[in-house]
Amino acid sequence: MSILTKEKQVINGNEVSLEIKPGMNILQVNKDLAKKNQEMLQKHKVKAIDIMGSIGAGKTSLIEQLVQKLKQKYRIAIFKGDLTTTIDADRIGKHGVQVVTINTGRECHLDAHVVSKAVEKINVESIDLLIIENVGNLICPAEFPLGTDKRVVVISVTEGPYMILKHPFTFMNADVMVINKKDLAQTMKIDIKKLENQAKEVKPTIKVAVTNALTGEGIEELIKALEL
Amino acid sequence: MHEFSMATQIVENVLKEAKRNNAKKVAEVHLIIGKMTFLGVDQIRFSYGVLVKDTIMKDSKLIIEEQNGVIQCDSCGFKGPVPVEDDPAYHIPVPTLKCPKCGKEAKIVEGKECTIKSIRILKPQEKDDDTKQ
Repeated sequence: MSILTKEKQVINGNEVSLEIKPGMNILQVNKDLAKKNQEMLQKHKVKAIDIMGSIGAGKTSLIEQLVQKLKQKYRIAIFKGDLTTTIDADRIGKHGVQVVTINTGRECHLDAHVVSKAVEKINVESIDLLIIENVGNLICPAEFPLGTDKRVVVISVTEGPYMILKHPFTFMNADVMVINKKDLAQTMKIDIKKLENQAKEVKPTIKVAVTNALTGEGIEELIKALEL
Repeated sequence: MHEFSMATQIVENVLKEAKRNNAKKVAEVHLIIGKMTFLGVDQIRFSYGVLVKDTIMKDSKLIIEEQNGVIQCDSCGFKGPVPVEDDPAYHIPVPTLKCPKCGKEAKIVEGKECTIKSIRILKPQEKDDDTKQ
């Protein structure tokens, strides 16, 4: 991995001072692995989606809705990133799809390496849609692409009106934004249109779906945005 | 938030490089951290300090160079600093991927680095130093 581009020596008594230029981008290591994941999934004609968002935004509920709507059309597997528990994996597993829990322990995000390990646990030949639920965290996952075709960020109106303004980098890294818990917008005094406009200001090509993951409202909109 | 794990990878890679070059000590590490990453320079520095204890990197000088964000637009060819929009409703400056020239979406070409630019090591002088160029 190291490329020695230049070496400089200074004699200092019996010691030599040597300058090494590794030029190694630590974040690029993950990106390269993500690319490998993507190529592997594409080779097996598996579509892949990564779902990011804060704890409690409604990521698992949305996945449950997606699974119910899409399981006739696709053979689905779910990777569920969580620090320690399998609560969410059990929830999704009830819908009759393959679920692999990725317990990250202390880590605040999934990365391409843990995803490649999880892929080894399933038979990629037997699926055509992979949905990855990232660790509940609006910030860090955006820095680590996993090799999916689409990245989704979920926010809910109960998180307040400043989610996009405070975390623009997360939205820059997403292809689709979901605004969840739309039924509570009025109570929370949230202007959904304003959130949409802010997201498009930060990332002009972002697609938006407004949902209520408990009732399934807006899920068709999300499926369309995901081109599924 | 993940500065500690990034710093761990930085230190591991520096130590690997140092070992490969038979280093006795690592004197200096020069990093480039992009401003479009989620990495806080102060937190990287703190984690680094904790991680290098009990290694040959102890007391090494850590130089962190911050790289500004640069976008490039595929539609009109614009290349320049990441534009900042001031949201009129809140007066909060928000960075955007919107091309300031044509309004289409541009991509980030600089500012996402977490790069080990160079390392300075000390090693015993060898008679036939094969690293001499």
